[in-house]
Amino acid sequence: MPRFLKEYFNRNGFGLGSVMLGLVLFWTVGLIILPQLSMLDFSFRPNLPPPEIGGPKDLYTLENYKYLIFGPEGGSQSYNAVDLRVFYRTLIAAVFVTMFNLMLCYPIAYYLAQTKGNHIRVLALMLIIPYWINEILRAFALRIIFGESGVLNNVLVGMGVFDTPFDFIRNDIALYAGLGYAYILLMIFPIYNVIESLDRNQIEAARDMGASWPRIHWRVVIPYAKPGISSGCTMVFMLSAGALAAPQILGGPSSLWFTQLIYQQFNDNSDWPQGAAYAVVLLVTCILLVLALMRLFKVNMGDIGK
Amino acid sequence: MSAGVGVNLEDLWIRFGDFVAVREANVHINGGDFFSFLGPSGCGKTTILRAVSGFLEPSQGNVLIGGNNMKGIGPNKRPTALIFQNLALFPLMKVWENITFSMEIKGASTKQRRKRADELLDMIALTGQGEKLPAELSGGQKQRVAIARALCAEPDVLLLDEPLSALDLKLRQHMRSELREIQKRVGITFIYITHDQGEALTMSDNIAVMRDGVIDQIGDGKSIYNDPNTAFAASFVGENNVFRGTVKQVIGNEVMIRTNRSGDLMARISTANQGKLKQGDEAMLFIRPEAFALAPAGTQGDHFVTAQVTKEEFEGSAFNIFMEGEGGKEIKVALPNVGQSFESHMGEAMTLEYQVKNAVALPAGVLATE
Amino acid sequence: MKNFSLMRIGIWVYLALFFSYLLGPLVIMSVTAFNSPGFPRAAPWECLTFEWFSALFQDERILNGIKNSILVGAGTVTLSVAMGLAGALMLTQIWPKLRATYYTIIIAPILIPGVVIGISTLVFWDRVNRLFGLEADSFLSNGLFLTVIGQSTFIASYCMLVLVARLQRYDNGLTEAALDLGATHAQAFRKVLLPFMRPAIASAAVLAFLASFENYNTTTFTFGEYPTLTIELAQKVRYGITPAISALAFIIVVLTVFAALANEAGIRRKELVAAARKSATVEELESGKLRLPGFLSSNAAAVILVVVAMMTIAVVGTAAVYSPQQCIADVREQKRLETDLKVQELLQRRAEQAARRDAEQAEQSGQEPTTEDTTPKASNNSGFGNVFDPGALQDDGTDDPEEEPATPGNNSGFGNVFDPNALQSD
Ligand SMILES: Nc1ncnc2c1ncn2[C@@H]1O[C@H](COP(=O)(O)OP(=O)(O)O)[C@@H](O)[C@H]1O
Ligand SMILES: [Mg+2]
Repeated sequence: MPRFLKEYFNRNGFGLGSVMLGLVLFWTVGLIILPQLSMLDFSFRPNLPPPEIGGPKDLYTLENYKYLIFGPEGGSQSYNAVDLRVFYRTLIAAVFVTMFNLMLCYPIAYYLAQTKGNHIRVLALMLIIPYWINEILRAFALRIIFGESGVLNNVLVGMGVFDTPFDFIRNDIALYAGLGYAYILLMIFPIYNVIESLDRNQIEAARDMGASWPRIHWRVVIPYAKPGISSGCTMVFMLSAGALAAPQILGGPSSLWFTQLIYQQFNDNSDWPQGAAYAVVLLVTCILLVLALMRLFKVNMGDIGK
Repeated sequence: MSAGVGVNLEDLWIRFGDFVAVREANVHINGGDFFSFLGPSGCGKTTILRAVSGFLEPSQGNVLIGGNNMKGIGPNKRPTALIFQNLALFPLMKVWENITFSMEIKGASTKQRRKRADELLDMIALTGQGEKLPAELSGGQKQRVAIARALCAEPDVLLLDEPLSALDLKLRQHMRSELREIQKRVGITFIYITHDQGEALTMSDNIAVMRDGVIDQIGDGKSIYNDPNTAFAASFVGENNVFRGTVKQVIGNEVMIRTNRSGDLMARISTANQGKLKQGDEAMLFIRPEAFALAPAGTQGDHFVTAQVTKEEFEGSAFNIFMEGEGGKEIKVALPNVGQSFESHMGEAMTLEYQVKNAVALPAGVLATE
Repeated sequence: MKNFSLMRIGIWVYLALFFSYLLGPLVIMSVTAFNSPGFPRAAPWECLTFEWFSALFQDERILNGIKNSILVGAGTVTLSVAMGLAGALMLTQIWPKLRATYYTIIIAPILIPGVVIGISTLVFWDRVNRLFGLEADSFLSNGLFLTVIGQSTFIASYCMLVLVARLQRYDNGLTEAALDLGATHAQAFRKVLLPFMRPAIASAAVLAFLASFENYNTTTFTFGEYPTLTIELAQKVRYGITPAISALAFIIVVLTVFAALANEAGIRRKELVAAARKSATVEELESGKLRLPGFLSSNAAAVILVVVAMMTIAVVGTAAVYSPQQCIADVREQKRLETDLKVQELLQRRAEQAARRDAEQAEQSGQEPTTEDTTPKASNNSGFGNVFDPGALQDDGTDDPEEEPATPGNNSGFGNVFDPNALQSD
């Protein structure tokens, strides 16, 4: 038995040590690594009926990836313009949602972290309560508001801003509001955690030297809060790009989210390998984007989840 | 009173990777002894204790408790109880639950545990405080609870890792005698760790002096103080004035040393080094501050030192005089305060006298505070 | 100074806007649960009704969904807290060179899109199932198992984060002390480490349950025969919305507020008790006669909790005896009257026109005005939604009124406007 294993069992005892090791291995290998590898492998296989899986026809192929780029074989277009556009639009929209969220949440995170008093606890509670409520119901609530005869249209038409109700859903406004809404907490918390540890004297000192508020934030607070900001942005970006419920409920009919394509491949077309390939593309692209941004802003993986 | 259970370390080595934390330790601890490991922090004391209590497997060598080899026996199966450096009281258990934790493990009833807790609380003078949480106790009280908890396990050997280091001076001195008291009463072997030589000297039957993982000397307090084996032991235990030089002449168990700065001085060779010092060897000569006496001015000889007074200090029990010897060497002299009047000699040159049997010559070596 | 107060106002305006964005939708949704129209709407207010609650409690699929959610939640909480705790413990003792890699692996599921986790779980366990030569309906491809496994993959990461935060404050010396006093490793774990971790384990369990309860993205691929409440809700919301869903949301909101208040009150009480213990004398502690502060004293959260509880009881009591039938009948009557009036006017106008036409062209026989030519304008998509809007009724042409008597109380049609599937045909 290798030394570190022996030490490990000495430290934890054999029974407890085995249970712990078993759970960790099951989680990391059985639930995280193998399923992802399995999905990757699956995405390179043809869509076969169950009896033929593992049979002679079950050969590796790039077909599923080709489909995303070039569309169905013998299709009228040289590129799969529809799916590629959805993909591209999803990423861009997720970036915008992330930026919107950051701008919305940074001030509140700063305020919560740097203000003292009892009302802060109340505000924090009010912040958390919406997130104890089902994601679907949150989207549903927004749909009541943005619906054609929803509250917002009633108000706007009543005030005479519009003559006819505005279709917030078809114009994707409901979707963006919903995605923004869904991940507010994930943006606020990391930023809050970092700013809370910022010594107030630093800000006082900067103010003392006559720096304006925007300047203090730009030069003192934001550089300090960078790990929190990038952690929040990473999570919000990944989750918005991977969102499914909000686009399904709030999305306009003509604008699909990439996850909806994956969903359709799985549930409507029953083409699992194709869906797996799309999922791999989504995962890899998102990870590459996040890694690139993390390198750009010089933050570590260790900052995520703090 | 039982004879107690002895502990032996046989050729004990403990390594962390390439780093050797304990090197070739051979220690025999008598049953019922109060035994101290004394050394500066980082010298490997805790490491030895963890090997005795079973948290660490020695890289080499054996730990014997009561003659039984402890190899492969876990800490929960050894007849030892450890009092941790930070006490490690269970924060969520009440004091009485803390104390009787070892009984809970063995499945004792609540009634039995309450009864034993009350006895032990009486013993540590915390009668009636069993319902408190550790956080609600003062430092000294926590200390005593930790001792009671360890004693409740009825160990053959009690291991204490700098248990007093977190206490203030007054309490520390009080706890010294209290610990010694308790040890006498329960009659089990105590292995005590400290970096405070005063603690070691006042409490212990025997002391092992450690440096960088090596045990320099084992013996009772008197022999370590009066007859150190190494320059390190001489300088670490108690205060000492050191004079460097080379051996000029060996005369039986005494030696004439040509010091670098204070001329030729006579000294006794420490017992462990008799026959080892030869002419021309580099040597160190140690004289305790209290071994000096004032001599008539101008007296010269091989047990006189002349120096200029640079600082005077009244400590209560003694007058401390700091002098600058030849070549800038600082010498500390402690004159006992026994009622005589003391006039200031600031700036004057004075002659000091010592008895040769009170000066110890040792081979040159590392000093404790260099 | 002026600048300063301007900033203060700015902050308050911002806070107000922020929290209305956050809470407004929930408030409006809650209000719609008590309004009688079949399409969830807060204005115009028609009748206070509790019928959507009874509709909710009669909905088999919702009830079944709740049952499945609880099953899945129980499994997920158990598995993720166990794995999260093991993962956190391992993180504190893993070989330093491996630590960064290990941390990346166990934190990754938080960043992997839920859809991807769902798919990979499905694909992998399907393969394992085939490897073992099991049937398609075996335990391994059972929706319950797959959902628990899939959700736990990433929920365990959340649990791990919560637990690690507390574990960092744990002194490993405590475990060693327990071992030294004769405890086995399992006893030391159970009697020392676990009690220390209990608050964090409770938070992790709550977090895990909430995350499991609301999860959609992963579950939608794995649920199989066990549609959870979220899945059922999503189906319903996608194919038409009714105030019964608002009623469910309202119940969840109320439960949440209760839980939050109870939690606050609990924390505050603990603080008070600790303070009381600190200032207590030995005798008081010993005799157990320590006078603890009353539950409600200096505890605002507890007071609010009690008030909200009483209000809830009052509302439920009202609901039991209150009947909105009269009001609904009145509103219907009023609408009918208005409509009748309009129909009358219309008929009259048409009759006049017809009479004029009759007079002009005697050879053509007088046609009875019918409702057949009153289909909504094709371009006016909003027509359905505005039927109930009295304002719209008044200005919006004379074509619509005939619709009203034709579909009294049947509102399912309106919801279909929003059915994404109906519109996704392009
Ligand atoms: N688990 C360990 N891994 C590596 N080095 C250690 C470990 N434990 C102790 N050491 C090293 O061993 C030396 C002795 O430590 P210790 O026995 O704790 O000293 P002390 O005498 O102050 O109690 C120190 O230099 C310490 O850094
Ligand atoms: Mg130590």
